[in-house]
Amino acid sequence: MNVINTYKISLYSALLLFLSLPFSCSRDIDDLESAEFPTNGVIFIDGFSAGLNYAAFGGSKVTAFQVDNEVVFEGTSSMRFEVPDFEDPAGAYAGGTFFTAVGRDLRAYDVLTFWAKASKAANIDILGFGNDLGANRNQVTISNVAVNTNWEKYYIPIPDPAILTQERGMFFYSEGPEDERGYTFWIDEVQFEKLGTLSQPRPAILESQNQVITAETGDRLTIGGLSMTYNLPNGIDQRTDISPSYFSFISSDQSIATVGSDGIATVLDAGETTITAQVGGIEATGSLKIQSTGAPLLPLTPAPTPTENPDSVISMFSNVYDDVLVDTWNPFWEFSTALVDDVKIEDDDVKRYKQLNFVGILTEAEPIDATQMTHFHIDIWTPDPTDAPASFKVLLVDFGADGNFGGGDDSSHELSFTAPVLSTESWVSLDIPLSDFTGLTNRAQIAQLVLSGDLPNLFVDNVYYYNSGMTTGNGPTAAAPTPTNDPADVISLYSNAYTNVMIDTWSAEWDQAEVADVQIAGDDAKLYTGLVFAGVEFTSQTIDASAMERFHMDIWTPDAINPPAVFRIKIVDFGADGAFGGGDDVEHELTLDDTNTPGLTSGAWVEIDLPLSAFAGLTTTGSLAQLIISGDPNTIYIDNIYFYREDGGGNPTEPETAAPDPVAPASDVISVFSDAYTNIANTNLNPDWGQATIVTEVPIDGNNTLLYTGLNYQGIELGSSQDVSGMSTLHIDFWTANSTSLNVFLISPGPMETPYALTVPTSGWSSVDIPLSEFSGVDLADVFQFKFEGDGNIYLDNIYFQE
Amino acid sequence: MKWRNSKLSNNISSQASIINLKHFSSSVVLNTIATFFTRPGLVRKVALLKKKMASVSKVYILMGCCLPIILFTSWGCTKSSDIKEGNWQLVWEDEFEGEVGLLPDSAKWNFDIGTDWGNQQLEYDTDRPENASLDGNGNLAIVARKESFAGSPFTSARITTKGKFDFTYGRYEARIKMPWGPGIWPAFWLLGSNIDEVSWPQCGEIDVMEYRGNEPHLIHGSVHGPGYSGGNAVTKSFALEQNRFDTDFHIFAVEWGVDYIYFFVDDHLYQVITPEDVDGEWVYDHTFHIILNLAVGGNYVGFPTSDTNFPQTMLVDWVRVYEDRN
Repeated sequence: MNVINTYKISLYSALLLFLSLPFSCSRDIDDLESAEFPTNGVIFIDGFSAGLNYAAFGGSKVTAFQVDNEVVFEGTSSMRFEVPDFEDPAGAYAGGTFFTAVGRDLRAYDVLTFWAKASKAANIDILGFGNDLGANRNQVTISNVAVNTNWEKYYIPIPDPAILTQERGMFFYSEGPEDERGYTFWIDEVQFEKLGTLSQPRPAILESQNQVITAETGDRLTIGGLSMTYNLPNGIDQRTDISPSYFSFISSDQSIATVGSDGIATVLDAGETTITAQVGGIEATGSLKIQSTGAPLLPLTPAPTPTENPDSVISMFSNVYDDVLVDTWNPFWEFSTALVDDVKIEDDDVKRYKQLNFVGILTEAEPIDATQMTHFHIDIWTPDPTDAPASFKVLLVDFGADGNFGGGDDSSHELSFTAPVLSTESWVSLDIPLSDFTGLTNRAQIAQLVLSGDLPNLFVDNVYYYNSGMTTGNGPTAAAPTPTNDPADVISLYSNAYTNVMIDTWSAEWDQAEVADVQIAGDDAKLYTGLVFAGVEFTSQTIDASAMERFHMDIWTPDAINPPAVFRIKIVDFGADGAFGGGDDVEHELTLDDTNTPGLTSGAWVEIDLPLSAFAGLTTTGSLAQLIISGDPNTIYIDNIYFYREDGGGNPTEPETAAPDPVAPASDVISVFSDAYTNIANTNLNPDWGQATIVTEVPIDGNNTLLYTGLNYQGIELGSSQDVSGMSTLHIDFWTANSTSLNVFLISPGPMETPYALTVPTSGWSSVDIPLSEFSGVDLADVFQFKFEGDGNIYLDNIYFQE
Repeated sequence: MKWRNSKLSNNISSQASIINLKHFSSSVVLNTIATFFTRPGLVRKVALLKKKMASVSKVYILMGCCLPIILFTSWGCTKSSDIKEGNWQLVWEDEFEGEVGLLPDSAKWNFDIGTDWGNQQLEYDTDRPENASLDGNGNLAIVARKESFAGSPFTSARITTKGKFDFTYGRYEARIKMPWGPGIWPAFWLLGSNIDEVSWPQCGEIDVMEYRGNEPHLIHGSVHGPGYSGGNAVTKSFALEQNRFDTDFHIFAVEWGVDYIYFFVDDHLYQVITPEDVDGEWVYDHTFHIILNLAVGGNYVGFPTSDTNFPQTMLVDWVRVYEDRN
């Protein structure tokens, strides 16, 4: 079954609407009386009846229909329909119509009948008549028609034969692949008949529902769900979907709304009327009660055109910007009475809400990341009274990191607006700082905008988030100076020049500030707005700055810096326990003003660069956890926050040179790992002994070096057992900046293993030649494994036995 | 009374394997003495003489066959003298006049309460006005409803004159508009009143009218007796041409005499049954009573489908019984 096929028919029909034949224009009665149309009811018995044409529907497989001379119900031939497979390049479905050039007078018949069977049990999407490749005025269809491998008789009752005075659409069909596979069905003995054994006609509109709708003057309401059900000669009910032409529609009060023969009601005035219908004098079930509120009050002018820079806008609805995906402007939440329409005010698209009590506007499929935005904007217009205490409320909901409703990480905040912000019959532009939504602790996954209040009639336009910092012209135009310190001497919190450590948050829950990621001339920066004090936290991975000497931070503020304006920087260390509290936390806050060097200033980058020693109270720096900024400027751009030391010094974390080249002659050596010798074949450098160590081989100056990262223990399985009883020493080159313990083991089966301690950390490469006598207990004639135990990152090279 | 040949039935193909076990298994036994009555002064002559036998072309459908082979049976020049003509005088009737919602007259009718009746019928027959009551327009409405009741998925009604009107011979007729849909099985029939003594089918059964809702253009007339009951009943069908029995009222009648039973739809005679036509004892020589019922499901009609509309109403304008005064 394929709903698309039905759609295609509709589309095709719509395209051909313009080709419909003009029926009478101004013929007089005499002409009409003289018109006689053939009354032939036969369509296909053993061939087509006179005057019949066939046309395949657009997009269908045009060869789907053939006359079949072998499979027949009766006589010599039948109609065969070959439904294509899914993705058949020749067409997606089988569909077409049999029609006549000259209409037929079918008033003497009461049903179209035929026999059908199929190559397998299936349900044919659509069969019917009244498709004339024109207006299809009198279309009647049966849907989802079950067929199987036996010939069965089918009936399509004529709802009211009286209107079929010159029908051209004799029979049509449409069927797509079932479960993506095509099949074949046959139809035979197609004819209009007068059976007299169809009974119990039951017309229906609106699927037999008695609906109530609120409307207003000018609305055009299509009465759909039109059907007729007959009881067939076999006692079974057959529903047909039928065109409006079979109905007589009645409006109980024509001054409120009229309804045309096309089933479209037009609302004329305020009041109430009920639309009902009949077919051939039989009352249809279902009705539409229209409650018209009369002519609506509409905005006379469009909302003000937004002027924010498109680069700094995330728009949900505006003709000015590209809009992001909005799931729905009305999810019909329980208890919500809101209705929404798209309307135009002077070519400007506007959302029009009616009966608004509350409505959700959802971006759940693709939540909005407004972390870089500073404001939420919405234009509203209402004809309703806005005198206090009438309110309009805006609720923003963020789904949190999990991106889903619930999960314990959702946050939201609702703001309420009243007069004089609100006013009646004029556009009101709300520019709401996101920092006002104080309960909205996250803004990376904004999934719902909820409007509510006392304004049931509301026009909404230009709904977007924007960043005022970049659009006011009151921000830096040049990036902060690029740092030049050697990365090896830097621990960076935030900079494009360095690899940054992990920061938990740039605006802790307990602070009073909003932070956004912005770009200035291609350089990332943090923008703090509404700054009272901001907490930057890196508690989950504290920073060991004990080797560092200075603290650096670039700031830019548009705010005036007049004495005694100050800017404060506080650094907190969690002490030896690495955790908040515990009696060992230390901190120090420095206060800067325009007298510092460089002095605090407005409208220019200030490169704050302070010795850590200036933070006198910060007596430990091994577990830095918080950076807190505060002061008088409310808007501050920040970049390049890092600790550093003046020059190299200290140990590098990796060797800058390769291990020394071995000098022993190859003939005296059994090598395990070295570029200088032939190594024992098939040695496994990383057997899975359940260790945590990460083993890699890294080239250093072109020399292959074995690296143990995060060593706990690590084995080496020799490609074959070695008799090293004739050897005298084991040679190892090793390098480590951070290991505090390192033992090497030789192992023989048993296992018999004996450790030997290596001195760590090293200062550059260390080379040892360990007498094999140190490995007492190990069977030197049968050494088959090595093991290293310890910690830190270890570089190893030139592991070999030597005579 | 004159009695001639009745070759009528010889033209009609025998009915294949129709199961008709309208076995009477009710425990309702009424021992009241039957009271016969006629309306004083009201004597009706039935216009049987107007039957234009020679010109009537009737449609008989061969039942039990997969393909709908339709036999057009013309009765040719049947002489009116072939059929006995009665001098009919009304002896019993119910015109079902009265206010809407009233139960059928308890002086004339009993309710058979229960289910199945030996036919695997699905409905529970009740004595509630929801299932059988006057419609206020001079009709009795027997209404089958889809509702769970006493363990059954449907309700309906079955009323009889047993013990209130038991009669032998005469013309029995009713004017009925049929319900419709798969699994719907209304009937107007006569049952031997000695059923409690000799049991069924020895008591005899005359089905004036049976109808299957999935063949709304057909009705069936049958007799069941010893040796020819159930699927072996003597039965014939009558079909409307280009019409159905659920769109309007039709009159269903039998004329029952000492050695004949004639079956009529409206003024069309479509079946004559004589002792020669039954493979067994002719048991139609004692009192019978009238039954009206509307069954849902059962092995005669098959079962309702999801498509069957409920409620379904068997609308009875009147039931009349005439005695032959010839």
